[in-house]
Amino acid sequence: MSLLEDVQSFVRDANRVTEIGELQTLLEGAVRDLGFDYFALVHHVNIYQAKGDIVYMFDYPQAWAETIDSRGYFTDDPVFMACQKSAAPFTWTDVPNLLTLSERQLEILESAKSAGLGEGFTVPIHIPGEFTGSCTFSTRAGRQIPFMALPAAYYVGSFAFEAARRVVRRESTAKKSGDDARKHPRLTRRQLDCVLLAGRGKSDKDVAQILGITHHSVHQHMEDAKRKYEVATRMQLIVRALFDSQLAFADLVG
Amino acid sequence: MILVITANNREKFRPAVDAMHRDRKRIFVDAMKWNVPVVDGEYELDQFDNQHATYLVVTDEAKETHLGSVRLLPTTRPHLMSEVFPMVCDGGVPVGEDIWEITRFCAATQLRGRESFMVQSNLAVGMVELALLYGITRYTCVAAPGFLSTIMAVGWECEPLGLPRDVNGEMIGALLIKISPATLQLLRMRMGWRHPVLELDAIARAA
Repeated sequence: MSLLEDVQSFVRDANRVTEIGELQTLLEGAVRDLGFDYFALVHHVNIYQAKGDIVYMFDYPQAWAETIDSRGYFTDDPVFMACQKSAAPFTWTDVPNLLTLSERQLEILESAKSAGLGEGFTVPIHIPGEFTGSCTFSTRAGRQIPFMALPAAYYVGSFAFEAARRVVRRESTAKKSGDDARKHPRLTRRQLDCVLLAGRGKSDKDVAQILGITHHSVHQHMEDAKRKYEVATRMQLIVRALFDSQLAFADLVG
Repeated sequence: MILVITANNREKFRPAVDAMHRDRKRIFVDAMKWNVPVVDGEYELDQFDNQHATYLVVTDEAKETHLGSVRLLPTTRPHLMSEVFPMVCDGGVPVGEDIWEITRFCAATQLRGRESFMVQSNLAVGMVELALLYGITRYTCVAAPGFLSTIMAVGWECEPLGLPRDVNGEMIGALLIKISPATLQLLRMRMGWRHPVLELDAIARAA
């Protein structure tokens, strides 16, 4: 397929997703097709403090995800700061041209490198009246960014962000209206796969391996499923899925 | 309130039209550094600001100020994409009676975040209302960086017409926007209102 056809098919699929987990899976595929390894699709706010319809999804090396969290890198991430200075997408090598880096910001870039991130390409998302956001694609350490694929990545990032915006807004509207679907939610195929394997006693890590998807995706699918049933634990989720006949006991011992 | 301005009623709304061209100069020439013609040093006005253009202009009670606007061109005549940016459409420039082009979408510079978003949302709903009145099923539009996410954020269905290309150092893309009665319903629901945004009196005069 040509890059344009890749983008068009991504856009068609992204326009139809109804859950963040689906978009996560879709984006992981697109990221690899484009020649990248990781992505982050986020509003530039502290997820723990912000209220409202916040987009926050990523697929990063575990070490980096933990570093961002534990050191609170979110607030002065140089890539996010660069987004405030640019309407156009940019590569990470452009960042020093967009802003003067502080010592802490240089440290952030360094620790990203040692956590296994290579180069990156970031699409800023500026929507009047909303927090700035971005979609970043990056490679693992030692790999070059796929320059030929950047225009396609620009579109994939922009359409992905819009799809995520639409989904988080719909989720919060559904929460408000308290519709009946919540009592008998339907799990997606992927969510069922994950819940089923969890019911067989597999850890998220095992499930990821069996299904050939990332650990983070599995986590996302389980979280989406828990949210649908409004339950807090894996065990409650499995019990509810059984009770609703979305899963049969036979599946669990199979 | 949104005025529908065509060749027929342009004179009646002259102050708003002039204010629009002045704001367009501030936005597209002064702020965004676009290389587009300026008339009398204060009006941004090009070859497509002709008798075939329809404008939606957000204005106040007095109908003389400009809060935001958009220019709509029939694709059956020369328009921006056919004349200036045909290279951004990989499969050829979409042309047809039911396809119009969106250009010069803007909100006045003095508006802040939320206000600006409200004006833009109003214009988006106005474009959908006009599409249903005119029998437009698709809009096309050339999108510079910074506009792409704003256009998509409206919530209507967009498709890429090609991969973005480097045109004079800027990544320029082309989008197709599909419009149906359901689009209007969706947008109105999202905004939380039911009433039309286009001033019907102005439409009657425009027709």
